[in-house]
Amino acid sequence: MVQDKHSLRTLAVALTTALLVAGCATSRVTSLPPTSSPSAEPVPQASPQPLALPTAPPPPPAVRENRLSPATGSLVTQARAQVARGDLPAASSTLDRALRIEPNNPLLWIELGKLRLVESDAHQAEICARKALALASGDRRSQSQAGRLLADALRAQQRNQEAREVEKQPFMN
Amino acid sequence: MVRFKSSRRRVLLIIAGSALVTLAAATAVWVVYLDRLVTREFQGRHWSVPARVYAVPVDLYVGAPVGADDLEDELRRLHYRRGDPAAGPGVYRRQGGDFDVHARRVRFVEELRESELISIRAGSDSITDIRQADDTELPVFRLDPLLVGSVFPIHGEDRIVLSPADVPPLLHAAIKLIEDRRFDQHHGVDPYGILRATWANLRAGHVVQGGSTLTQQLVKNYFLTDERTARRKATEAVMALRLEAHFSKEEILVAYLNEVYLGQDGERAVHGFGLASEYYFAQPLDELDAGKLALLIGLVKGPSYYDPRKHPERARARRNLVLQVMADAHLIDAAEAKRASAALLGLRPPGGSYVPAYLDLVRRHLKRDYAEADLAAAGLAVYTSLDPRAQAAAERSLTRHLSRLDAASRVADEHLEGAVIVAEPNSGDVVAVVGGREVGADGFNRALDARRPIGSLVKPAVYLAALESGRYNAATMLEDAPIELKLGDGSVWAPQNFTHETYGQVPVARALAESMNLATVRMGLDIGLPRVADTLQRLGLETRPTLNPSLLLGTVEMTPLEVVQVYTSLANGGFRARLRAVRAVLDEHGQPLKSFKVQVETAAAATDIYVLDQMLTLVMTRGTGRSAATRLPPGLIVAGKTGTSSDTRDSWFAGFTGSYLAVVWVGYDDNRVTGLTGAAGALPVWIDTVASLKSASFQPVRPELLEDRWIGFGDGLETTPGCSEDAIVVAVPLGTVLPRKAACGPSPTGTMIDKIKAWFKTNIH
Repeated sequence: MVQDKHSLRTLAVALTTALLVAGCATSRVTSLPPTSSPSAEPVPQASPQPLALPTAPPPPPAVRENRLSPATGSLVTQARAQVARGDLPAASSTLDRALRIEPNNPLLWIELGKLRLVESDAHQAEICARKALALASGDRRSQSQAGRLLADALRAQQRNQEAREVEKQPFMN
Repeated sequence: MVRFKSSRRRVLLIIAGSALVTLAAATAVWVVYLDRLVTREFQGRHWSVPARVYAVPVDLYVGAPVGADDLEDELRRLHYRRGDPAAGPGVYRRQGGDFDVHARRVRFVEELRESELISIRAGSDSITDIRQADDTELPVFRLDPLLVGSVFPIHGEDRIVLSPADVPPLLHAAIKLIEDRRFDQHHGVDPYGILRATWANLRAGHVVQGGSTLTQQLVKNYFLTDERTARRKATEAVMALRLEAHFSKEEILVAYLNEVYLGQDGERAVHGFGLASEYYFAQPLDELDAGKLALLIGLVKGPSYYDPRKHPERARARRNLVLQVMADAHLIDAAEAKRASAALLGLRPPGGSYVPAYLDLVRRHLKRDYAEADLAAAGLAVYTSLDPRAQAAAERSLTRHLSRLDAASRVADEHLEGAVIVAEPNSGDVVAVVGGREVGADGFNRALDARRPIGSLVKPAVYLAALESGRYNAATMLEDAPIELKLGDGSVWAPQNFTHETYGQVPVARALAESMNLATVRMGLDIGLPRVADTLQRLGLETRPTLNPSLLLGTVEMTPLEVVQVYTSLANGGFRARLRAVRAVLDEHGQPLKSFKVQVETAAAATDIYVLDQMLTLVMTRGTGRSAATRLPPGLIVAGKTGTSSDTRDSWFAGFTGSYLAVVWVGYDDNRVTGLTGAAGALPVWIDTVASLKSASFQPVRPELLEDRWIGFGDGLETTPGCSEDAIVVAVPLGTVLPRKAACGPSPTGTMIDKIKAWFKTNIH
């Protein structure tokens, strides 16, 4: 019985991992750019100019694209390998480490949210997705990734109606 | 007669005999009892290895804010030596900004890393290149985690326990020489020693020498009080003999070195050479030279009499005597003894890797997040969020400013106290805790336990509640005018502004920036106290505050740690990350213990938090925190709030950058008036702490439902920077209609776009 449960869980982990890795394989190109751009920060910065130096009008909404830096990119790769090995606690702390380097990168929050789903913690996955969505404002690609994660996390909590609402958002296509 | 006599004698003999037998039996029972006690206790203590506590390891990557000198500081802190890296792990070579490091084999939370050769290139403020021995680039590399102490998670004592291999040979030999020359010969009690001591005492006419062996001293430390009675002496002797019967000399000596009392650190006793080495010198024991070892050995005789901080001359004389004895016994040569005798005591300066206030939080979080049964295991490794650089910065800033403020104050008989906590709001990681100005002292931890009224630190919660009500935005006009309220008990409450002035009509953003009490009370009463209390609780306050109107001005009492929890939600876009000092605990096999997971929850809507946070940056540029502008690194955008409790008893500042949140409290322990506002007392400490951390600007991403608009700071009317000197940017919901300044023409964002947005807003939702 216990063994059954255990093997079921292993199966679930393996399956989700496979999905995750498969999913990542396609998104890898978009989320791990060539290392030519050393900028870890979203480029360009949307500056709300709270210093209010009265010289210029508020800046127009900036077009943003979030990327992983070489450092966080390599940590994400490590975390995925750890997930593939079934070592979820290690993957979790590897992503913590990446987030300490780039706390405001929505791609890292998306990655952490996917891990929470693998850990069957849909509620925390939802929070990660919402956090990513907030950080991704102005970056359609990150928004749609975060939106997909959010919809998955909501479905995992049987909140299908809310999931459909998310999928209807303009950034989802 | 003879027979009678002999039978009487026989009776006497029998009586005496049975008395003797009874006595012998009682003695035997007593000895067996002591034997059991000694064995059980010794084994228990002997094998209880405390959990080792590590700081967060420093991650190095291209662009990491670690300059060449910083890197060398880090390596030194981790006890790496300069030399030829080929010689083995723990050695580095530096040429300008180029480092070759032979990294040690290290256990991290996620992996065991084998030792390896790494080449690192660093500029003056950041890392520029990292390569492995085969010249392949390494995207990220981390240094060893720094050991910052050890704790017994269950009984809360901390001690750095030495294993036999950790005992420096000089200490091993010298402690016997000074304290118990015949240690290797006797069986726990030394009759010669006793005779010698008695003789010396008789000649002197009072007690000048003790005849106790190391074993007896150990027993005394374990089991007995300090009274000097014959009975206690007998018990001690029996226990010492039994201990020697069961355990080896080596085990006893090592236990002694771990147990011996070597000083008092506030309320905490310093036991053992490992902890004493950290306490007095901030160095691991195996790095101490002969002089420092001699100082510690000399302390055994009387830790308070020879206290090197209180009585440096006595301590120096005692150290030099021990050095002389070492030289006489040829443990060190005469030249070294001479050199060491002339050296300074070498006590650690305040600060360093000795962090009792942080360890206090670690202990509490271990209890909160882990099962007690798991924590009882031996040899745990606790990986914390402590950042030694942030800790040192906070300690330095607090001690420096409190001394300055004390010097300027008229209260001569009392010293100001303070507390600082630094956290990373995204993760809830607590990176530094300073519990008072005596940084080394393990006394009252104000950061965790001083519960004080928070004054205006409460206002962001009041303004957030107002934004959440939907009835206020950053440009809404408030009335700052006198108000009187009849309270439930019949008394009348008539709050005033700190300046005792009133300001009339002011926009929300200005009322918060300048911390206006009257405008805040009027707005707070309008939205209702329950709403404010709800918001505070959602942000992270655990107990519901009393619904008294004075809540709006911060009569609610909180500890600095609780304030950090509430402000974490403000600094993290409305997400509340539960504070944590402990990231992971590994057992002795490197397996993680199960813990209660990090919980992040939604505390407030991203839009409301964005509007509030932007107003909190105005506090720092135009409001009560504006003195920071010239003292922070140029261009660094920060947000924060000053707080001053009634009559300036408590001076608070809570604020954040893009990387850190820091909360500072300054006040007197006896709660007397300080004469310091939040801006005068706590803010300078905050500025110094934040300025010495490498920090990103606070630049949150603006939610798409909001837009930036210019308004006049004074009149709240929509304007342009060219039109009004005091134009500020506030974030408002898309398409919000703002009254315009008549002379300024059309809105810079264009009226048509506004109308379209407004149409979308009303028709889409």
